[in-house]
Amino acid sequence: MTDAVTPRSRAGIDLWRWAGRIFLTVMLLFTLLPMVWMLLTSFKSGFAALQFPPQWWPKEPTLASYRKLLDPTNSVGADFLRFFWNSLFVSTMSTILSVIVAVPAAYAFSRFDFPGRKFLFFSVLLRNMFPAVVFLVPLFILMRLLGLMNTHGSLILTYLTFGLPLAIWLLKGFYDNIPYQLEQAARIDGASRFQAFLLIVMPLSVPGIIATAIYSFIGAWNEYIFAYTFINRNDRLTLPIGIQRFFSESSSDFPGLMAASFMMSVPVVVLFLMLQRYFVRALTEGAVKH
Amino acid sequence: MSQVHLGRAIRRGVSMASIAAALAVWGPASAQAPIDLSKWSPEYVRSIAGTQDYDTAADCAKVTPRDYRGRVTFWYQGAFEGDPDLLRQYYRDFFAEFRKTYPNIQLVDQALTYNDLLDKFRTALLGSAGPMVVRLQILGGVEFASKGYLQELKPEDIGLKTQDFWPGAMKSNMWKGKTYGIPTNNETMALIWNADLFKRAGLDPDKPPETWDDVVRYSKEIKEKTGAAGYGLVARKNAGNTPYRFMPQLWAYGGGVFDESAANPNYSQIQINTAASKRALQASYDMFVRDKSVPVSALTNQQADNQPLFLAGQLAMMISHPSDYDVMHDLRKKATGSDAQTAQAVIDNMRYGLIPKGPDGKRAVVFGGSNMHILKPEYVDGGKVDQPAAKALVCFWTSPEWSLKMAYAGSNPGNLNGFKTKWMKERLENIKFLDVTTSMLPYGIPFPTIPETPEIMNIIVPDMLQNALTGTMTVDQAAEDAAKKIQNVMRGNKL
Amino acid sequence: MSIRTSDAPAGGAPARTAAREPGVLRRTWIHRADYLYVLPAIVVMLIVIAYPVYYTIDLSFYSTPPSLQLRDKIFIGFDNYKTILESEVFWRVTLNTFIWTIVSTGCAYILGLGCALCLHQAFPGRAVMRAILIIPWVISAVAASYIWKWIYHSNFGVIGAILVELGIMDRQPNFIDNVNTVLASLIVVNVWREFPFAMIMLAAGLQTVPDQLLRAAKVDGAGAWHSFWHVTFPHLRGVSIATILLLAVANFNSFIVTWIMTGGGPSNASHIWITHIYEIAFGRQRWGIAAAYSVILFLIVMSLGYFYVRGLGGAEKEGGGS
Repeated sequence: MTDAVTPRSRAGIDLWRWAGRIFLTVMLLFTLLPMVWMLLTSFKSGFAALQFPPQWWPKEPTLASYRKLLDPTNSVGADFLRFFWNSLFVSTMSTILSVIVAVPAAYAFSRFDFPGRKFLFFSVLLRNMFPAVVFLVPLFILMRLLGLMNTHGSLILTYLTFGLPLAIWLLKGFYDNIPYQLEQAARIDGASRFQAFLLIVMPLSVPGIIATAIYSFIGAWNEYIFAYTFINRNDRLTLPIGIQRFFSESSSDFPGLMAASFMMSVPVVVLFLMLQRYFVRALTEGAVKH
Repeated sequence: MSQVHLGRAIRRGVSMASIAAALAVWGPASAQAPIDLSKWSPEYVRSIAGTQDYDTAADCAKVTPRDYRGRVTFWYQGAFEGDPDLLRQYYRDFFAEFRKTYPNIQLVDQALTYNDLLDKFRTALLGSAGPMVVRLQILGGVEFASKGYLQELKPEDIGLKTQDFWPGAMKSNMWKGKTYGIPTNNETMALIWNADLFKRAGLDPDKPPETWDDVVRYSKEIKEKTGAAGYGLVARKNAGNTPYRFMPQLWAYGGGVFDESAANPNYSQIQINTAASKRALQASYDMFVRDKSVPVSALTNQQADNQPLFLAGQLAMMISHPSDYDVMHDLRKKATGSDAQTAQAVIDNMRYGLIPKGPDGKRAVVFGGSNMHILKPEYVDGGKVDQPAAKALVCFWTSPEWSLKMAYAGSNPGNLNGFKTKWMKERLENIKFLDVTTSMLPYGIPFPTIPETPEIMNIIVPDMLQNALTGTMTVDQAAEDAAKKIQNVMRGNKL
Repeated sequence: MSIRTSDAPAGGAPARTAAREPGVLRRTWIHRADYLYVLPAIVVMLIVIAYPVYYTIDLSFYSTPPSLQLRDKIFIGFDNYKTILESEVFWRVTLNTFIWTIVSTGCAYILGLGCALCLHQAFPGRAVMRAILIIPWVISAVAASYIWKWIYHSNFGVIGAILVELGIMDRQPNFIDNVNTVLASLIVVNVWREFPFAMIMLAAGLQTVPDQLLRAAKVDGAGAWHSFWHVTFPHLRGVSIATILLLAVANFNSFIVTWIMTGGGPSNASHIWITHIYEIAFGRQRWGIAAAYSVILFLIVMSLGYFYVRGLGGAEKEGGGS
């Protein structure tokens, strides 16, 4: 973006620029301070966290909470690492599946003109209108009928449906903007419609697919209430439920909880920061484009 | 340390197994003198502790042979990270010992947290996906019995006698004259206070407040003179901690939800809006609103939030289990540097006493604990209950030995014969304040044994407290509102 | 690479031929292969939606007293609906829900728009700032709830400590244990989590505003505000509607922040529909009432859904028209 400023409006522009800077600073503080406090607390000992006025900076900083969580030889560490692995597995699987399901559906909604296309498209979007709580008991019963109770399969199936509406919508916007002529050219060269889709359209929609995948992954990684209801086995819990275990009836360990919250956030934050440009690009080229 | 004890215990147990088995043929357990509840006192408990040996494996072998081949699924409130190491060690030992005794029974055990267990169990039952055996808090048993989920189960079914358990504990397993479970442990709490804060507030550091009115007064003085919170009020909703701490106060003032504190309650008359009940609510109001002498976070607090406050020297009094003594010791062990000193200071200043009385001298505490239940096959995942395997597990946990050990740090054995074991003697020596909580047992009042109790205790009572304490309603209105809600619950379908 | 010029017809429907309009069945048959593409999505959706919806509507006509199993439920017609609409708590909770949804959505949108505008110009550190601002949206709602609960803590909370240290207050303020402030406090957390989403959406939208128009406006001597209001903002209409609707629906259905931080308390002051339904169902075992409540909630959100679908579907039509 060029900053071609005519002398006439320099004063006005400066004012706006300063207002923008101040606003941005405030927003950065609003965003960062809670996370900074989380980190500072996680380096304190159990008692040091319980002081008023608080220690603004940990007087005796310790990595004890992290050591406890990451040490597979003690029970906390073993549990935490297992929950972590479970979350990773469930999130990855539901991400892969939601891409597999969403891509052809979005393509079909964008390109084909089968009867009921609109109706089906909107009914997929409607999934988001239903609050999760409403579905808990019936889905629990259904999972039992499907033999999925207490398995990661029940979570993967459910999470799949969370991500789908936005994924299909996002990808459809993307395909709408890929010129049809590209496919036509391929088909003249002898490719089938499916081949054209696979070889021409899919590669062009990689940013959209990545965006969809990130969205699904974050949703699955952070989901709480279905995991809480469906999984009764300790060794199959996912992280959001697992970290509640650090608050059983008898005692509160705030530094431990903050350390767990921090470590639970790391994978999704790293993943997102690595791939965010695709996310923005997908939105720009697909969904919000005019 | 418990490891060593256990190793010794097992060796002795094994060597004595044959003798005990031989004895059992000639002198059945019924020949032993039963516990005399009329003589109950700390001295009596001391006098019977360590007077009797039990061989759990041999006793349970009479219910289910040790070579029995089978499978049992089991849910219970487990010991987690926040619990004392000692307790967690006993839980591990229990399952190891059971598996050793019954090598051919496949035990699938699932630990759940205190606040999850009821929710999870209810959901599982809706989908007929329950475990064969469940250990539930006392509050839940009647609800599930009344809905027909549980099998009849009484102590005699596993070779014990009904007289071996507290009458109050048995009552919490009864529905329409039939018994549906066996107590594992009985809890009565006590008052814990910080002597140092008492001293600094000019109060006698070694005497607890005599009445609840004194609690209000002490709390105010402590807040004014030391800045620390006085009494650890908790009023969080959907957490069992709240009724466990409010009901003793309600009963002491002469109130109640129904007539549950009477000798033979029939739960027909709602009493939560009587003048006496309102006085109890008023006392909480005075502490929270008028004097601001309790933790500011009381409305979202549960007991777990009081502990750190107490440890940090910012809370002077709270109602709690004897296990808190152990919790503090654990925390001290894990603390480093200056933390260790702080913790030691708190432990040195920790005092236990009886729960305060009401204005008319009435002392009361919630008779808490847990029970073992066996489900009907149609509600179990897989549709079958392996009866002998299930009974072996129930027998094991409710035996004198394990009902004591599993309650070692926190409460009292459900099986009264547990008081006679050598582990009880050891426990009396190790846990400084045990006398107080055993002394509280006779004052224990069970929650109403009706299916509506969980909703009343976990939702309506905390709601009443919150309505009054936040000023959403006056004390009067809050009590009347609660009475109306209880009536709606009892009638069935109103909110 | 950017594919800016879209020649595909509206809805990307190359197969549509205006000459002949065959019957639905025939067209269905002709397009039978097309359904294979959407089949997995539809099947998954059917499994997870159809049965629960049927189950919930059916259950809403039954009474489920605490002493009976669910299968022994008693048919009572519309009584559950009556009970809910007559209860004072319902209206209190409804008000909370609307405050929660409208304020959260509005604030998240405005803050997101502000950030998107500030970050639109290139300057050193822009990428880093954008990355930082996105983090709250990415981290777990459970973790965020615990972090903020700790920050608000009435005894050890850092905000209270700062206020006391600066002498603004003499005693720790009560954020989430106070009926008057609890909802606002939770909304702050919710906005913290949601504004980055609005920011990303709107930042993407801003990139589609044609530079020529902005330059033309500048040449005409338009001020920053003027060119924003008359050039930029109209271009953001589509993405704004989509963002607001997505946020609003998410807020109507959000559960974690409220449940973990307050459980709806104190004294119902922070209950929203979802947490209230959860409490009625799981805490109080009133499955029938909870089901009826869900149906009411669904009807209300559905009316919003009408706009949601039009908003999301609208982009399609607008895209074709330009």
